[in-house]
Amino acid sequence: MVSRAFACLVLASAMAWPSAAAAAERAKAQVACAPTGKKLVYECEIVLMGRKSGAPLQGAKLVVGADMPSMPLAHNVRPVTAAPGGKPGMYTATIELEMHGEWALKLDVSGPTRDRLIHKMHFGAAKGATTGHGHHMKK
Amino acid sequence: MDDHLVGVLSNIGMISFIALSAYLLLIVGEISFGQQAFFAISAYASGIATAMWGWDFWPGLAWGAAVAAAAAVLVGIPTLRIRGLYFSIATLAFAEMVRLVFEVFKYQVEIDGEMVGPDGSDGFRDIRYIFENDITAVEYMLMIYGLLAAVLCAFFLLERSRLGSIFRMIGQDPVLAQMQGIDVTAYKILALGMAGLVAGIGGGLYAHLTTFVEPKIFNVMLGVHSLAYGLIGGLGTAFGPLIGVAIDIGFLESIRAISGYRMIAFGGLVAVLLIFRPRGLLDEAAVNWIRLRLRRRHA
Repeated sequence: MVSRAFACLVLASAMAWPSAAAAAERAKAQVACAPTGKKLVYECEIVLMGRKSGAPLQGAKLVVGADMPSMPLAHNVRPVTAAPGGKPGMYTATIELEMHGEWALKLDVSGPTRDRLIHKMHFGAAKGATTGHGHHMKK
Repeated sequence: MDDHLVGVLSNIGMISFIALSAYLLLIVGEISFGQQAFFAISAYASGIATAMWGWDFWPGLAWGAAVAAAAAVLVGIPTLRIRGLYFSIATLAFAEMVRLVFEVFKYQVEIDGEMVGPDGSDGFRDIRYIFENDITAVEYMLMIYGLLAAVLCAFFLLERSRLGSIFRMIGQDPVLAQMQGIDVTAYKILALGMAGLVAGIGGGLYAHLTTFVEPKIFNVMLGVHSLAYGLIGGLGTAFGPLIGVAIDIGFLESIRAISGYRMIAFGGLVAVLLIFRPRGLLDEAAVNWIRLRLRRRHA
């Protein structure tokens, strides 16, 4: 009993304390998704920029995932790495959803800055229409 | 390590806390459909502490878990006087009430020129501690599993303690336990508080990993799943709910071919197990059999 308690204490104390690091300018994103010919497959164009400067964020690694807020942890999309698009700060990614409905796109940015942007978007059944908003776009 | 794998493993770790929380109540013989409420309360409370009040992660997480535990005790005092199905309905009603409160809960402060904080049904964004402190996804996953290991250790110590025996006795036969002089309601309130604390740890971890929470996340679906994990994995040991989580998020997640039908497969699995193994895969009999085999091997 005592040895088990000691082992538990050692294990708990072994958890690393997070280290601090310098913060870079935060990112914001504009997202537009359009249906492709394939069912539930969408092509998304994402424009990344500095939140304050508005300057296009180039050379970032962008990984796009998605979760259904109404079914947390139940339906999520395998994240895909976005490819650089035609314009500065633009990236494109093809995502395959499991069903229609409201999804929260998770945009994981790394490189010049590290951030996670959440962009809620409705992927509708009718003509594959999408509507969306992200908190970074509300101003 | 692959990003997706890290994400799935982190999800398994986080949801294990709410599964253990529901398991603890199953041990004392109560079925709660409302553990998601304590998960939500902690997600918001710990998020407010780190994102708005500038607290460090660990005090923020402890604060969230403590608030969830306090809420659980407050809920337990009136509801544990009712039994069985009525208690289950009361917990479900409470969880829905909490979700609806968060739908209208607005509390924001200006940080760095931007409004941060819960914004009703739009949710609570920018819980960015792990990004601001440069904690990688793998490091955060290790933190989740470090905490999970500590909680599991606490469960194993509990199950070998007098308190654990009292919990199981109450779960098996509350009338007999009461005849032995045990204050059944007081111990059930204690169990509910402990379950709230465990769910709260999971909620705080969840909020900081996703950086975003909204009331919709904490609907009845999460509560039903947390309950089902214990019923699938088994009530004989604290490993049981973890097996349930691993089957749902690990196994079913890995079979992408059935992804669209995953919930149907999961529901079917629960139904089949409730018929053939009503106390789950690792029920008390299975655990005793494994212990006996291990003892014989070591003898």
